[in-house]
Amino acid sequence: MAINKNSNAYIIIYTVVMVVIVGALLATLATSLKDKQDANVLNEQKVSIMKAFGEADASFDEVVTMGRLQAGQFAPVSEAAEVAEVFAMLGNRKELSEAQDNLPIFQMEKDGVTKYVLPIVGKGLWGDIWGYVALQQTEDNVMITGIVMDHAGETPGLGAEIATETVQKAFEGKKLYNAEGEFAVRMQKGGAQNEYQVDAITGGTKTCDGVNAMLATSIGKYASFLLAEEAEEECCCGECCEAEANVELNNVEEE
Amino acid sequence: MKLSKNFTNPLAANNPVIVQILGICSALAVTVKMEPALVMGLSVTFVCAFSNLIMSLLRNGVPSRIRIIVQLVVIATLVIVVDQFLRAYMYDVSKQLSVYVGLIITNCIVMGRVEAFALGNKPWDAFVDGVANGLGYAFILVLVAFFRELFGSGELFGIEILGDWYTPNALMLFPPMALIIIGCIIWVHRTINKDLQEK
Repeated sequence: MAINKNSNAYIIIYTVVMVVIVGALLATLATSLKDKQDANVLNEQKVSIMKAFGEADASFDEVVTMGRLQAGQFAPVSEAAEVAEVFAMLGNRKELSEAQDNLPIFQMEKDGVTKYVLPIVGKGLWGDIWGYVALQQTEDNVMITGIVMDHAGETPGLGAEIATETVQKAFEGKKLYNAEGEFAVRMQKGGAQNEYQVDAITGGTKTCDGVNAMLATSIGKYASFLLAEEAEEECCCGECCEAEANVELNNVEEE
Repeated sequence: MKLSKNFTNPLAANNPVIVQILGICSALAVTVKMEPALVMGLSVTFVCAFSNLIMSLLRNGVPSRIRIIVQLVVIATLVIVVDQFLRAYMYDVSKQLSVYVGLIITNCIVMGRVEAFALGNKPWDAFVDGVANGLGYAFILVLVAFFRELFGSGELFGIEILGDWYTPNALMLFPPMALIIIGCIIWVHRTINKDLQEK
């Protein structure tokens, strides 16, 4: 008896068998390639952070101290589980933008200068924008030393230019706070006027607004830490130094 | 004799992109640089070849009422396989291709060949037909990308070819330019193959 290939029973059995085979095949494939794919994502995060530091050739694992911001303090993270947690957070933009405490932060010291890299996340015109910004303390301010940005779907040639080196280079050396202590760094329509501003992208105003909002909110969460560092340095030139001097004097007297 | 014709026909005289005008969407999107264009072309070749092979093997058992669904399942599976492998082994390229790898599923060339050829031919013939159509698509993509990357960035495969004297023409990087280049290729192609010209 020949099978009727257009009978309902045949069609149902055919589809069930087909779906089971295909499902099993794809599940096996996805599981076996997952480690490799995760490693790629992790590596990309590390490369982006190193680019923000301006040390694209250096190895992340050798020179960077990972940490989290806990109660306004830099708390180093070194255990494998915690490290994985931080990177998982970097990979989850929603979680990162909602987090208020335990924020990821990366520290690197080179030639006596300490730089910090913070993750930044926000919304552009069409979708998410994100990146990393490298900051360094100056005498009375905080300076951007590097920035990398990427986007999900900004307009090519306009908003998408934020992912280019030309735009990102313009942020280098810009100060975060103005003389009144307000957060002032921004992409300015009509061209940069002062040391806080960067030229905005013509035709990409909405994306630039998104970048401004992203910088203000993402860096704003670290403000207590950044400003505390600044205050500490000021203190060192005042009371602390006197205290140190007194200790030295005492030592001399003891001798 | 027939087999070799099967292979050479889609490469030139019956090229899926410039004669049948299929797969134009991805041809516009992924041809800014040579590398993604090449990877995209090879991915389509892989999907096209194996979907043809698998459908040809199944052709006597597929219920004709659901054959389109079966074709889609086979094609979609192969596309996911390609996508997963690119993510694991060619992460950068996979990021540049973004959604266009997934969109191979909707590429008319793939389903067109399965429906028009694989269901009525033996597996080996169908496989060769798939490879040839895929390569025909890949060839046009790479050709378009060659002009766009060379004149748009002054580079090929990311290596600088034209020196500092050349100012990259950003217009080449925009999608409309891909359409214009494809138009020029069609023009040249029809000038050579006069029988393709509409009267």
